[in-house]
Amino acid sequence: MTRTFVAPATLDEALAAMAAGARPVAGGTDLVVGARQGKAPLPDGLLAIHRIDELRGLAETESGGLRLGALATHEDIVANATVREWFSALADASAIVGSHATRAQGTIGGNVMNGSPAMDAGGPLLCFDGSVILRSASRARTVAIADLWTGPGSTSANADELLISVELPAPAPGTGSCYVRLEYRRQMEIAVVGATAVVTLDGGTVADARIAITALAPTIRRIEAAEGALVGSDGGPDAIEAAARATAEASTPISDVRGSAEYRLAMAVVIARRAIAGAIARARGEHIPIPASPALHGAP
Amino acid sequence: MASVETAPQQPTFIRPDGKEKVTGSGRYTADLTLTGQAYARFRYADHPHARIVRVDASKARALPGVLAVLTHEDVPGVKYGQMAQDRYLFAKDIVRFEADIVAAVAATTEEIAARAAELIEVEYEPLPAIVDYEAGMAEGSPLVHEDWASNERDENLVADGNTLGYSTIVKGDADAAMASADVVVKGRYTSDPSHGVPIEPHAVVAQWQGDKVTIWSSTQVPYIARSGVAHTLQIPEANVRVIVPLLGGGFGAKCDFHFEAHVAALARAAGRPVKLVFSRREEFVAIDHRREGMVLEFETGVRRDGSIVARKARLVLDKGAYCGEGGFLAQMAAMHACGPYKMEHVFVESYLNYSTTQPSASVRAPAAPQVCWALEQHVDEVARAIDLDPLEFRRRTLIAEGDEGPTKQVFDHIAIKETLERAAELIGYGEELPDDEAIGFSCGWWPSFSSNAGAYVQLNPDGSGTIVTGAQENGTGAVMAMPAYVAEVLGMRPGDFQILYQDTDAAPWDMGSAGSQTTFNAVRAVLDAADDVRNQLLDAAAEQLEAAREDLELVEGSVRVKGSPDHAVSVAEIAASTTIHGKGAGPLPDSPPVEAASCVGRLGFESFLAPQLFTHAARVKVDRETGVVRVLQVAAAHDSGRILNKIGADGQVYGGIAMGIGMALSEGTLLDEQGRQRNPHLLDYKLVTSADGPAMDIEWVEIDTPNAGPNGSKGVGEPPCVPTAGAVANAIAAVIGTQVRELPMTPERVWRAVQERAEQEGDAR
Repeated sequence: MTRTFVAPATLDEALAAMAAGARPVAGGTDLVVGARQGKAPLPDGLLAIHRIDELRGLAETESGGLRLGALATHEDIVANATVREWFSALADASAIVGSHATRAQGTIGGNVMNGSPAMDAGGPLLCFDGSVILRSASRARTVAIADLWTGPGSTSANADELLISVELPAPAPGTGSCYVRLEYRRQMEIAVVGATAVVTLDGGTVADARIAITALAPTIRRIEAAEGALVGSDGGPDAIEAAARATAEASTPISDVRGSAEYRLAMAVVIARRAIAGAIARARGEHIPIPASPALHGAP
Repeated sequence: MASVETAPQQPTFIRPDGKEKVTGSGRYTADLTLTGQAYARFRYADHPHARIVRVDASKARALPGVLAVLTHEDVPGVKYGQMAQDRYLFAKDIVRFEADIVAAVAATTEEIAARAAELIEVEYEPLPAIVDYEAGMAEGSPLVHEDWASNERDENLVADGNTLGYSTIVKGDADAAMASADVVVKGRYTSDPSHGVPIEPHAVVAQWQGDKVTIWSSTQVPYIARSGVAHTLQIPEANVRVIVPLLGGGFGAKCDFHFEAHVAALARAAGRPVKLVFSRREEFVAIDHRREGMVLEFETGVRRDGSIVARKARLVLDKGAYCGEGGFLAQMAAMHACGPYKMEHVFVESYLNYSTTQPSASVRAPAAPQVCWALEQHVDEVARAIDLDPLEFRRRTLIAEGDEGPTKQVFDHIAIKETLERAAELIGYGEELPDDEAIGFSCGWWPSFSSNAGAYVQLNPDGSGTIVTGAQENGTGAVMAMPAYVAEVLGMRPGDFQILYQDTDAAPWDMGSAGSQTTFNAVRAVLDAADDVRNQLLDAAAEQLEAAREDLELVEGSVRVKGSPDHAVSVAEIAASTTIHGKGAGPLPDSPPVEAASCVGRLGFESFLAPQLFTHAARVKVDRETGVVRVLQVAAAHDSGRILNKIGADGQVYGGIAMGIGMALSEGTLLDEQGRQRNPHLLDYKLVTSADGPAMDIEWVEIDTPNAGPNGSKGVGEPPCVPTAGAVANAIAAVIGTQVRELPMTPERVWRAVQERAEQEGDAR
């Protein structure tokens, strides 16, 4: 058994290693933990990408959007003022991923490419119309987040493609967003049920709504019926309740050690309701602390 | 009533092992590396219950880098188990749980050892799994041990088929008395198994020199490990030395003899030192040492004035596949089903049943937290049935000075009622709370354990001292506090003393870090040895100073004549000119007298020596929509007699509460229908994190306890994790209006209880 480990400083060298079969590692919070748990052995060829400048950075773009380099950690994301103000749901999510150590170590690139249906940051990236830049030795392409996740742990990226960055367009004025997760404890938690809402208000009316579910289907996905129940409404309790119920109806949860399908479905309504209410409140300029989950669950 | 006072403020206690543990320079068993060291790996059972038809290790043996492969054929064919000898080092004909060890490999690298373990071919004939330990008692059920009747066991274990131990606590005639009660309340509860989860995994390193073996092991009980190695490898105990490097937590999970002999046998066969370090998964499935699952049924008859006429209870405990040290669990559980209450008639029966799942044994206060959790919910239900506040009902029924227990043990110098009042005061019981918050109470007891222990204290020519103790430091600070006690006796400073400990070749036998016994027994021995040294110092000084012994005092590192401080000789001078070495053991306290002739399966717990008594009050917040519970505050009031080291004792309560909240809300091992663990990792076996910790208020109600530990102390270590889950349960029930009858009380279970309550209310309307 021969194992290789390379840690190049340039993107070209990294893409060449990918072409030769190496697999990237950054924070290692999925790869290493998974290998220790016996989920999948470590790949024989490991490509450490932490030295590559093109993969760094977390900044507002000229058009008011956001570019997150693959190596941006959850800590970086939570600390970023643009994210907190304009992409609050993403800050909500990154603030509660794993533990302090996970957030300091884990990167958005690895998080996205791991393809977990329980990924906290996934719903926000999807609802903000995110896309990813993928590069291989031979080409570069942009893939919408909506087209990236194909099943639990699988993506539409080719094996030799490396995620360079995640790009988010500027949200419309009057937009508020919120990510809420059911939490059994306050740290080192994984989503059992999660919901994202991105709501744009125009006057007193909901002009646009994006609602996504986490850990309630094989992939994180948007729920059009729920969005439809909100758009055009006043964003009041009845509309929120209708959207929350539509969210649950479109969910297809499984039963596992973290909860039964029946419980998850019941929680889908509760969590979606809290996320939507949080997004609307933020769109109205009300203050909800980041992360929203403990605040909305009534923590002291 | 005994006089009660609050603990005086004590100087800050600095642990000798603190700096190395905090800075990371401390060395644990897994950190050891010996020249030529090889790596061990176990091959576990592929079925939770099966007959082994054939084992072929030839492919594993042929793999380059493999130094030894062992099966039952390579070790003596003797069974072991402290209370029932029902197990071989390597499964011989039958595997009885998912991590039963079939074979072991030593190889030059961990990867080769892992590969070799996989290459061992084992052919099985699967047998029916026995996971339902209550159904396993039925006539005609398949047996976990076909040969149970011929296994040697403790003569007081009452065994029958899948029942390893049957115990009863009997007082008067509970059936007849129940009929005379004003109100009878019944309740059934179940508890999932759980784990101690020390952060340091089990690790063992063994090295032979000639026919003697040195074993470094992450054990809480080095002397018991030594006995286990000697017995299973059929070598003299004198040829086995067990050393424990720093221990990274245990919580009971590292009690008993486990893997030391497997590794020693591998090292002998490989002709090299061999090291075993468990993965986190193995730490869950393979340590054969979990907290047992339990089914509990209670029936209590009361009068309207709150007096308990009769208590009946039936408990069924999941022993898992093998006995080990855990044969006492049934009787211990039965005593906790009585609890520290006045009761006129009692009939409690308790079954400890084998199953084809992981063995159960001591985890911090074995059997007590689950029984306390269930009983204390039942107590609240009884209180409600006679329209008494839970606090008031406990006031009327808890034992006090001069009362008798379920085996007619008469208690003196006890302060459980005071702990109830103090906990209620600390948590602010009676104050207005938001409608999603409430307070619950839970009371309990736990015995102190009397055991042999011995120590030496010597003085060195430089004026320093060395304490040699058999006691085991598992993180509580019980051993680390010894220099402070010895220094006080000898008029020296704690920093003057080194401790030589955790080496079976150095110190007298000790039962290890178990049963809250280290301070209770080992400090008794150390103080006795310190007295011996004191006498030797006084004798030597009397001669040198030409003074009468009784005129001398030991102060600030010198022996001096009282009233004339210049007339003195330093301890260092004495120690340099003569040999000063003391030894001690001290007299053991007596077992309190009881009337237990009508109790069956008596293993010594029918009397509770120097009982530790306590009340926890918990304030919780329940999210009724999700079932998520947050524990906001816990007030803990304990009677552990005199407190010798307050900062150490407080630490036990902080940790105990955290462990108790984990048991209450999230720590449960889930099994599939074959008895395999479904969540053997820290993501889905959810410990309480520091972010979840509540505000904690601690109070020690101190009274001198006769017939107890040093200076009127009792034990401290185990009880703090006993009552927390019960207090949390009663607080949850007070918010949602119904009880959660399964432990842990996970969000989904709380949510279901809320749903069922809503349906019942709907039906009632």
